[in-house]
Amino acid sequence: MDIFDDVKDSIDQFRKELSDLDVEERAIEDFRIKYLGKNGIISDYFNKFGQIPNDKKKEFGKLMNSFKSEANQAIESLHQKLKTKQTKQEFFDYTLPGVKPVEGSIHPLSKTMDDIISIFQDMGFSTELGPEIETDYYNFQALNFPENHPARDAQDTFFVDDKVVLRTHTSPIQVRTMEKQTPPIRILAPGRTFRNEAIDASHYCTFHQIEGLYIDQDVTFSELKTTLYLFVKKYFGQNVSLRFRPSFFPFTEPSAEVDISCFKCGGTGDNCSLCKGSGWLEILGCGMVDPNVFKSSGIDPEKYTGYAFGMGIERIAMLKYGIDDIRLLYGSDKRFLEQFKQL
Amino acid sequence: MIINTNWLRQYTDFDYSDAELGDRLTYLGLEADPVPNPLASIENIVVGSVSNVREHPDADRLMVCDVFDGDKTRQVICGAPNVKNDIKVPLVLPGCQLPKGKVKKVKIRGVKSEGMIPAEDELGLSDDHSGIIILPDNAEIGQDFREHYSNRFGSNFEIDLTPNRPDCTSHLGVARDLTVLTENDLKIPDTDFEETGTQIGDHVEVNIHDPEACPRYATRIIKDVKVKESPQWLKDRLKSIGLRPINNIVDAANFVLMETGQPLHTFDYDRLNGKEINVRMSEDGEEVITLDGEKRELDENILLICDAQQPVAVAGIMGLENSEITDSTTNLLLESAYFNPARIRYGSKYLGLQTDSSYRFERGVDPENVIYALDRLTDLIVDLAKGEVCTGLIDNYPKKIKSPQPTVRFSRINKLIGQKFKPDWVVDKFEKLGCKILNKDKDAVKVKSPSWRPDLVREVDYIEEVIRIYGMEKVKSSRTIKIQPDYSRNDRYNFNRVVRDKLASYGYQEVFNNSLFSHEEKNFNLFGREPIKVKNPLSRDLAYMRTNLSSGLVTTAANNINRKNRDLRFFEIGKVHDLNFDKANKADEYEHFAMLLTGNLEPVTWKYDKRRTGDFFDLKGDIQGIIHYLTGKETQFADSGITKENYNHIVKIVVEDDILGYICQLNEELLDNQYNVEEQKIFAFEGSLEVLYKHFHPEINYIPVPSYPAIERDVSILVNKSTLVGEVMGLIKNNGGEHLQEVQFYDLYQGNNIQENKKSLTFNLIFQNPERTLKDQEIDQQMNIIFNQLKKKVDAKLR
Repeated sequence: MDIFDDVKDSIDQFRKELSDLDVEERAIEDFRIKYLGKNGIISDYFNKFGQIPNDKKKEFGKLMNSFKSEANQAIESLHQKLKTKQTKQEFFDYTLPGVKPVEGSIHPLSKTMDDIISIFQDMGFSTELGPEIETDYYNFQALNFPENHPARDAQDTFFVDDKVVLRTHTSPIQVRTMEKQTPPIRILAPGRTFRNEAIDASHYCTFHQIEGLYIDQDVTFSELKTTLYLFVKKYFGQNVSLRFRPSFFPFTEPSAEVDISCFKCGGTGDNCSLCKGSGWLEILGCGMVDPNVFKSSGIDPEKYTGYAFGMGIERIAMLKYGIDDIRLLYGSDKRFLEQFKQL
Repeated sequence: MIINTNWLRQYTDFDYSDAELGDRLTYLGLEADPVPNPLASIENIVVGSVSNVREHPDADRLMVCDVFDGDKTRQVICGAPNVKNDIKVPLVLPGCQLPKGKVKKVKIRGVKSEGMIPAEDELGLSDDHSGIIILPDNAEIGQDFREHYSNRFGSNFEIDLTPNRPDCTSHLGVARDLTVLTENDLKIPDTDFEETGTQIGDHVEVNIHDPEACPRYATRIIKDVKVKESPQWLKDRLKSIGLRPINNIVDAANFVLMETGQPLHTFDYDRLNGKEINVRMSEDGEEVITLDGEKRELDENILLICDAQQPVAVAGIMGLENSEITDSTTNLLLESAYFNPARIRYGSKYLGLQTDSSYRFERGVDPENVIYALDRLTDLIVDLAKGEVCTGLIDNYPKKIKSPQPTVRFSRINKLIGQKFKPDWVVDKFEKLGCKILNKDKDAVKVKSPSWRPDLVREVDYIEEVIRIYGMEKVKSSRTIKIQPDYSRNDRYNFNRVVRDKLASYGYQEVFNNSLFSHEEKNFNLFGREPIKVKNPLSRDLAYMRTNLSSGLVTTAANNINRKNRDLRFFEIGKVHDLNFDKANKADEYEHFAMLLTGNLEPVTWKYDKRRTGDFFDLKGDIQGIIHYLTGKETQFADSGITKENYNHIVKIVVEDDILGYICQLNEELLDNQYNVEEQKIFAFEGSLEVLYKHFHPEINYIPVPSYPAIERDVSILVNKSTLVGEVMGLIKNNGGEHLQEVQFYDLYQGNNIQENKKSLTFNLIFQNPERTLKDQEIDQQMNIIFNQLKKKVDAKLR
């Protein structure tokens, strides 16, 4: 029999064994020794090189080299497979905690203010800012609060001197804007305000408001209602209903207060700690801009009408997040702040 | 203000349940909250009658009595001084849960007691513990006491009255507003006393010295009255709204006040000097002793009622002791007046004294109701205290209060409300409100406002009435809203939002601190601002407007650390104030942002053995990051030259030529002494948000990514320990040539193998040319230039 045929048989045999071989360390090593070992099959053939006729030597060398190279590659590939298999089997505890980044948090008051502003921005309101230390004129007089009028009682005021106060509301921004812009005016006025009230669970001497003002040639109470409906539904949810009831603010006439149905008890009031049984939560004040306010800003009240509304950010935030003590908002306790990370 | 439903029904009919009544009033703009009934949850009290009162055989102060509860007679022990035979009382049966505890059958010194006769405080009705509750003779024995109580006292609403509605400071007033809805009659009590005495003019003369402050003053005199206890019905009325009955004269005046809203004052006529009433302004420094026993010094703007010699009342606010009604009073001078609201309010504020009377006068009483109220009181006193009414009355009305007469255009209602109202309907409602219709055509109606509604002056005030009566709820919401196409976002506000979001993404938590702070904390005031003082602060700790945010942040951090929250990163954005504000730039307020870093940078994890502790350079890096993010600019750091005892070192942050702020480490001794913070370092930054905004540059200009490879070189040098890394960095950058893209400092080494006064610095330099591949020789040359400069300028040696 021709040695060439032997080699070819051996190659076939090698391939067959390879395809049946278990990927196990022992089996692979045995297989390697059988073919590539010092006394292995391939070595044997090479030892017979001398017996090959000279004219066939080249052909034989080529065949054997290709056999050896195939075997080497196969073994290497087997080792690779073995390694992958071993890795896969290695114990891996995917339940170990992930390493999280350290994240900060936005204060719930900022978040509340931003959310409210976003909703009104979509309705075309821009934002105006104003000073926290205001003159009596902008804080009261121009807003139709006469001196020695009981309407001032509702706003316990911090004074810097007789004519300078810490603003008690953000309404002065309305006047400042009316002075520098011409209608149509459509603005939001967010900011920090101050009231000289003893600090307790529901009062803080510093707090925040956001007001809206829209002045044009035919702004109506009816449109004010729709605007606030849109806001309330978007902010508090579609199921919340609201009611308007007459009230009094010196700078609006007619004036109204707006209550929303309590979202905790669904408006039934049954044993509800949030709405204290009434089924309603007071959230904002609003009305049509008083002609006296127009006059103090040089806008013709015959030609233009307008509405204004305002709400306390602390109150909205406390309702929204179920915070029962306003002092928590100013307490800066890390464990409190941390709860607003997800916002 | 409290409104009682039984009392209200005296003046008009309505068939609302309590809940409906509350809603109606609220929708009328009289926000009504039901006052909880203290008896609501108390069961097992019945009306009983007392008999056989006898002394307890074994206890001095106790009595034993029999109480018939309608079913059987129970023996009850009672210690009250006012227990006696043949009275009706609430009988608390055993098992009843009272606010202060459960009533049980007991034995007291051998005598059993099968119930209890309560005082008002024991049922939570008031704080009166002077004696047991005695019920009227007609009380029905055996009736549930709650039923008896609610039949007798009705229920109450607390009305949160807006300052524009003085007409509703009384039961008649609220009833009148209700009649506009119900269209039922308003029942105003008649007066039918007779004037049988001598002419009033023989007894008193009224002089108004300041008609502007006192436009109207009326008085009657009643002689020979008998001061005594009020009858049950009157006491019940007053008690129903929480007023304490005193005597028939005072009670009658209080009753008419709560009935009509007109405050009335009764003087003991015999205690007045001379036959004069003088209404005048006070003199600066004048002193009076008011009914509450307080001595009060006046300025020159308080309206006084005086006799011929001295003040006898602070007009519209409170009477004086010297003319008060006593048990022996026999002759009365009654006062009913209209005082200028602003004057009364001034006086009330000045004296710090708000009374039922001042509350009404400062809002504006009905000037045309002065005489009715006076007569109503006269009538009542004659009924209750007999007496003889002098003939005639004095009605000094020098300054007639005129009712406004506005014209209301129907088109204007539509324009403001956005809904059409029928003119006839509108006019009808105005009439029901008490307006006189002066003129009316298809376009408008001219009305004369009712004297009790000082808030109805202008057309717009009537437009409010239209929707108040119609119901704001029923006003249709518009189907669309207009949106302005040219609205602009306020970049300044949105900028704050961007800063906030970025700081939060860096791991900082936003806090809100009070704007009011104490002066002592001004040591954290790196910007050198002078604090603004509040004239009327809540407390000394909150007497100044803050000059900086750091004070608040440090306190905040200390509070958290003391609660064992040691790893903190806080920031705040807010206004600070300066007394010497920059008038030229109208910058009367400054907006700052501040950051604070302390403790570990990351939480404990299983993966890394060591936690990094935050320090100056972490805070510095965050600031560099945020500034670069917002402005695209590099930040310069320089020695601030400021030394303050609260800080260890203060470094100035500069962007281009503007000082942005300061970064520093807080003095550890201070933290320990004043904040009780030990073994923890705190780093803080405070900067001007306005300066940051000035450099705000949100636009990004894309530069093509280089397609040729960069060449990196590392360089390690030895320099003196005192050499600033920043200076070396600057030298490298300035001498790196046009292709030097980036310099990173990445190793600082001092110690073994290095001379003691030296340190080793290692930099990584990246060179790049966007148009071609750089050659090694070019870079070598450049590196030589850099190194020569380093050698020359900072005596560097290559390592």
